[in-house]
Amino acid sequence: MNPAPGLWNVIKREASLLSSRPMWLVGILLVPVCMALFFVSILGEGLPKQVPVAIVDMDHTDMSRRITRSLNTMELVNITQKADNFHQAMDAVQRGEVFGFFVIPSQFEQDAIAGNGPTLTFYSNLTFYVPGTLAFKGFKTLGVTTAGQVVHTDLVSKGAPSQMASNIIQPMTVNIHPLNNPWLNYSYYLSTSFLPGILELMIFIMTAYAICHELKRGSSPQWLATARGNIWTAVIGKLAPQTLMFTVIGFGMNALMFGYHHFPMNGSMANLLLAMFLFVVACQSFATFVCCVVPNLRLSLSVCCLSGILAFSLAAFSYPVEAMYGGCAIFSYILPVRWYFLIYIDQALNGIPLYYSRLYYVALLVFPILATVALPRLRRSARKPVYVP
Amino acid sequence: MLKRIWSNIAAWFLDTARVMRREFRLVFASPGAMLFFFALPLAYPIVYALIYNPEVTRDMPVAVIDNSRTAQSREFIRHADATPAMKVCGYAADKAEARRWMAEKKCFAVIEVPTDYSQRIGRGEQGVVNFYSDVSLLLRFRTFMESMTNLQMATDTQLRSETLNSLGVGGLVGGSNQIQTQAYFLGDTQQGFGSFILPGMVVLILQQSILIGVCFLGGASNERRRANGGIDPLAIPASTSATVIGKTLCVVALYIPLTIYILHYIPHWFHFPHEGYVWHYFLFIFPMVLASIFLGITLTSIASEKESAFVIVVFTSIAFLFLSGLTWPRYAMQPVWKIFSDLIPATWGVEGYTRINNNGATLEQQTIPYLWLWLLTAAYFLTALAVTAYQTRLLRRSRR
Repeated sequence: MNPAPGLWNVIKREASLLSSRPMWLVGILLVPVCMALFFVSILGEGLPKQVPVAIVDMDHTDMSRRITRSLNTMELVNITQKADNFHQAMDAVQRGEVFGFFVIPSQFEQDAIAGNGPTLTFYSNLTFYVPGTLAFKGFKTLGVTTAGQVVHTDLVSKGAPSQMASNIIQPMTVNIHPLNNPWLNYSYYLSTSFLPGILELMIFIMTAYAICHELKRGSSPQWLATARGNIWTAVIGKLAPQTLMFTVIGFGMNALMFGYHHFPMNGSMANLLLAMFLFVVACQSFATFVCCVVPNLRLSLSVCCLSGILAFSLAAFSYPVEAMYGGCAIFSYILPVRWYFLIYIDQALNGIPLYYSRLYYVALLVFPILATVALPRLRRSARKPVYVP
Repeated sequence: MLKRIWSNIAAWFLDTARVMRREFRLVFASPGAMLFFFALPLAYPIVYALIYNPEVTRDMPVAVIDNSRTAQSREFIRHADATPAMKVCGYAADKAEARRWMAEKKCFAVIEVPTDYSQRIGRGEQGVVNFYSDVSLLLRFRTFMESMTNLQMATDTQLRSETLNSLGVGGLVGGSNQIQTQAYFLGDTQQGFGSFILPGMVVLILQQSILIGVCFLGGASNERRRANGGIDPLAIPASTSATVIGKTLCVVALYIPLTIYILHYIPHWFHFPHEGYVWHYFLFIFPMVLASIFLGITLTSIASEKESAFVIVVFTSIAFLFLSGLTWPRYAMQPVWKIFSDLIPATWGVEGYTRINNNGATLEQQTIPYLWLWLLTAAYFLTALAVTAYQTRLLRRSRR
């Protein structure tokens, strides 16, 4: 006995619908694939090193030139301009030619040797966060090492052994170990979170489109009839081809990142792929739920787009949830991509036992259950489609 | 002869005005268009401002493994606890326990003080503290690292002056008279995440809401044309240029108050960086609004129905955010993406507006982005003309 009569017919009907308009292929295949290639390629370098910066050397001595050379040899920054004064350097920042500048005051060498405590000043433009931060890091390292060198030379000249002088200058140090991404590769944060984000957005859009387009065209009674009047069969049959395509694309994205580009994968790929499949189904369920609540193409698409786009901020890929206001943070947890992201961190980046991520997998399973509960509402609107222009 | 030219010009202006009036009517009659033209640009900046308003992340839980158990190690940990970034959540017995806490998300980092920490400092060797941090979020790690580096430098200064004083040379070397460093942050002086992302984001919201709204209207018109044998019954039979300019004037009129709201009031209300002269950023953003409208009209050629606007435009927001150079600087982009980003109005809009708004730059200093915006306006005007000419060919033929 066939458990779901009509299921195969709905799938066949859907397949012919999907191939009838190029928009479906664009939305389901082209956009996610192109965006995946785009992200991985644009962030390919990992860290935008060689930040263009300016130097303001008002000292013009042997020591100031040495500092300039040291700055230029750093991998983080690249001196593209030599400014005569603060205003010139500031102008370059405002024009966007450089992202920061380092100021060596006049009489610097003299004051440094005489022990008058001169000040090295540096400005980093945080209007652009990443280059600004990198420039700051480079400047700070240079400032500190320069200060240390002067004291070191002083101590050695007063008769202290070189090693002892170093230890006097820096009696303790903190070894910072960034776990599992020691390169601080930017792409490992962004590609791994933004690609599922894009996938979620497109699944939301295409699912809502597929379901509510039937209502808009008024073809939903026919759709329901193909499924022998069973809304569960109708929806499962309608979404199954998309589930397959999106899952394949999701796997492809992971293959691109973890396989081809060797992103850190410290756990088991199988766990991540399982999560990807559950994530695709959860996203479809989320959109189906929205369609049940607002069975109107334009409105459900609006809600799906709204949540899909806000997910990039709310799911806390860059700005942590615990720092958000409670009222905002709560929305983070109604988005499937948040749970997938947490699973990725645990299972791929940090590679901890599956046990610690169990609740995230369960959370992904909650979405289909919610959608199933809401489906009868969709049946009502599918029987009598009302098109609101 | 002259009279005919004059009457033609007058007719053109009349047509433009008619198209504009019809466009207004279409916008206000369609809840969808109202959603994109009003609700989206009004609500989104506030939503984003609320998400990012706390700006920084504070008091992140950190576990401690103190194997040294000395006054010095305890002092270091007390100081770590006192930094704004860190909050000691507990003392772990060993690394295994700390690792478990990390897996349970009880802490995001671990400070490990080795057994010989104090001994080494006492012997005049270098004491080493290990700091293990989770790097699943860049912002969290950045905050940790900055705090830890500052803490290390403060501890070093303190220990150094103690050593030098005990050697009796404190006044001669080191001490307070060594070289000082002073860091200043420009644009986003508080180093907040919201202050960085919001000014760029609102420009992008401006462009995207225009694109999606114009596309939506165009899609609706395409639907009507398909239903009526290639003629949109609600379109005004006017020349191509009058149609394009009439539509544009309508959207420009709608966006003047919205632009003031987005570019002026949002940063002002939420206390985001807001330097720059008012006229400079309004004059600057004007060609971006124009270019976005023309680009939107161009895109209507592929919007076969209203809802296509979602599929065509929405996902581009994410791509444009990256191409704008806000998160990934343009100097590090591969040439192909750089060329691509050059073609997007928001790239130059973000570039110029953030520099005027955050860095207090003048319009004159933004000459290159400004010229690019006008260039894009001209280019997309031509494509919009071409698309409109194609779409209204049957309408004009029917009038003749």
